[in-house]
Amino acid sequence: MSSNETHQQMLAKYAEVIVKIGLNLRAGQPLSIRTPTHTSALVREIARVAYQKGASLVDVLWSDDGVSRARAEFAPRDSHDEYPVWQVDGMLKIIEKGGAMLTIVAVDPDLLNGLDTGFVGKLQQAQLKNFDPVRTIVMRNAINWCVVAAYGSAWARKVFPDFKPAQAEEKLWQAIFESTRVTEPDPIAAWDRHIQNLRKRSDYLQAKKYSALSYKSPGTDFSLGLPPGHKWVGGNSLAENGIVFTANMPTEEIFTLPDRHRAEGTVAATFPLSYGGNLIEDFSLTFENGCIVKVNAGKNQSILQQLVDTDEGSTRLGEVSLVPASSPIGKRGYLFYNTLFDENASCHIAIGRAYRFTLIGGEELTDEEFMSAGGNISLNHVDFMIGSGKMDIDGIKDDGTREPVMRSGEWAFDV
Amino acid sequence: MNETEFDQKLGKYADVVVRVGLNLRKGQRLLIRGILEDAPLIRKVTESAYKAGAVFVDVLYTDERLNRIRLEHADPESLTDVPGWLYARYEEYYERMDADLAISSTDPDLLTGISPERIAKYRKAIMQKMEPLRKYENTTNWCVVSTASPAWSKKVFPELSTKEAQEKLWEEIFAGCRIDMPDPVDAWKKHVTNLKKYRDYLNDQRFAALHYIAPGTDLMIGLPEKHLWAGAQAEFKNGITGIPNLPTEEVFTTPHKDKVHGTVLSTRPLSYMGALIEDFSLTFENGRAVKVAAKTGEETLRKLIETDENACRLGEAALVPHSSPIGQRGILFYNTLFDENAACHIALGNSYRETIIGGEDMTEEEFNASGGNKSLVHTDFMIGSDQLDIDGIKTNDSRVPLLRAGEWAMDV
Repeated sequence: MSSNETHQQMLAKYAEVIVKIGLNLRAGQPLSIRTPTHTSALVREIARVAYQKGASLVDVLWSDDGVSRARAEFAPRDSHDEYPVWQVDGMLKIIEKGGAMLTIVAVDPDLLNGLDTGFVGKLQQAQLKNFDPVRTIVMRNAINWCVVAAYGSAWARKVFPDFKPAQAEEKLWQAIFESTRVTEPDPIAAWDRHIQNLRKRSDYLQAKKYSALSYKSPGTDFSLGLPPGHKWVGGNSLAENGIVFTANMPTEEIFTLPDRHRAEGTVAATFPLSYGGNLIEDFSLTFENGCIVKVNAGKNQSILQQLVDTDEGSTRLGEVSLVPASSPIGKRGYLFYNTLFDENASCHIAIGRAYRFTLIGGEELTDEEFMSAGGNISLNHVDFMIGSGKMDIDGIKDDGTREPVMRSGEWAFDV
Repeated sequence: MNETEFDQKLGKYADVVVRVGLNLRKGQRLLIRGILEDAPLIRKVTESAYKAGAVFVDVLYTDERLNRIRLEHADPESLTDVPGWLYARYEEYYERMDADLAISSTDPDLLTGISPERIAKYRKAIMQKMEPLRKYENTTNWCVVSTASPAWSKKVFPELSTKEAQEKLWEEIFAGCRIDMPDPVDAWKKHVTNLKKYRDYLNDQRFAALHYIAPGTDLMIGLPEKHLWAGAQAEFKNGITGIPNLPTEEVFTTPHKDKVHGTVLSTRPLSYMGALIEDFSLTFENGRAVKVAAKTGEETLRKLIETDENACRLGEAALVPHSSPIGQRGILFYNTLFDENAACHIALGNSYRETIIGGEDMTEEEFNASGGNKSLVHTDFMIGSDQLDIDGIKTNDSRVPLLRAGEWAMDV
């Protein structure tokens, strides 16, 4: 970034990619945005593009880290169930009116560090419960939705601790712009090409119909089942409202759902997990019959345990995702302490709920039917990273034969 | 002020807002509404409120720049689309008797250059949507305060850099809110006691009318028989006593909606919906503004009084001595909260129920019959100066000087 003007231009390009590729917003759609207060420069650009595309209303719900921290620190300890229900009602109303949803993440990974973890955990639970109606709609792709990132000072400091604040800001924005292809001469065309490539990978895996994946790397000896009818997804998706959208920017992953009943062995995380304002580090999970039977963490084990104890579904897996270690984000070699980035740097799995659209016909099933087909249901959906340059993955067919899917963290098949 | 000093003062300010302005009670929830630039105060107030026993602080931020972007770029037909949650949020908290803080730090020039039609359409839609909330007037403890937002500060002190202008405006806010006093809470107690004396005197007199004389102004404001002077403190229906505006220097009542005659000249510009109306006068007959003139913003002024049937009538008359701590500074703030505490003013539009005896329990018809005005708008504008004389006129036509050369003329 050589000047404010060029930064402003980059923000405008980024906004365009978000509205046109991420959301693919249509004229007449209202747009709901959830974002932290310090992202206003980007949000204003997004609103401008959205209105120019004919958005009927851009309705922004701002969150403020300072206010969130004050609550966790000073609120009465029995007040955790207080919740601004009007926020959820407002979002549901926008969805009802055929709207789209955008979430901008820029949270401070250490926001709630050092605070009463019991209370923080209860706040997190209340958030999960109250937000569930919106999450349910989003996770079945009822509408076009998108999650993107923006610079935040605390986040930049965490990612680039050795740099001065101004440099850290520049580096984080640069990482965001490059990984979302905003620095390409024609970002929209670059996204079209990228999405096609992801589609080829997912088509290949779809045709294979593996019944399981087996993972081997230092600390990891693990396998998970893939249910019949699992669907590999990557790049963009088709929403129930007929709009093709790209749910995450950046996105480098191909993903599907694991069978909630079939996971065996131990898997070691290769990145810390930022959860509810705390970092869980150096952790591993051991599975039997799809269920987490043991957790181990070098730091914040109690928070990891709270996460797993949220509900029955939080003891099981809901997503399996493949990303080569050489992905544009992975090859930067930084830890972003942010799922949106880290999950596109590395193979990962998710504790909790499975996306309905990752099971063929999944949107039509009742909860019971979805679960008996292998789909998991939970208030949580928390990704954590297990990939590295030392990870080998095999696909296992119904007849037990094995085929290499990844070797040393890279794709082991051509498309 | 260095950063530490500023931080300490901001903390004191937040404490005054929570303990004196809102008089927040343990177990209440607190609603806060402000613009993004209000964040430093909002965070302090949040902390102070939780320490005072609030069970939840619900902060609603607005980005006022987005309002401008919407007015500039959105399909004009869509401007009347007001999200329903805005109303629902207030209703939910008012029903539970929770506390309500609004922060007023808007950029006075925010909507400069946007067509008045668009603004009026947009504003009216919001006012109509929110109108039913009027039934909760003074139900719960509420308060309005300000912060020195960058754009507003720069407007007040255009010759300074934004940073210096903010520092200067913060000083004004802290001084006006008595944060500089060694014991701000005690200073507020004394100030309220003093204001109450004027309020009680005026209530005892039972004036039939007020007569305003100043250069360009000769205005007779008839008062309803059951008018009530309010000011300083308010007793809310939830049983809490608080101070709804910080700063506050005014005592006020409602004019009789049909009994205003003559011409009044504004003494300060009016910032309305991001547009400035300057050097304007209004001529009233039988309570209605029948003639308006303005050097700038006449169209906006016209739009304002045409908002609905009664936006052309008065809903408030407020007395503030010219030497009020805020008036003394001789600064034009372009912000009603400050300017209205610097000078005598009147308001176009809605009357406060509390300014008529028993008004809060009246039906709309009863309130109107008593002389109260009902409108979507309530917009104050300044008419005070050091050349303003006001007489109180009793039912037997005898006159009592209330203000001479802008200062209180009676002993209380």
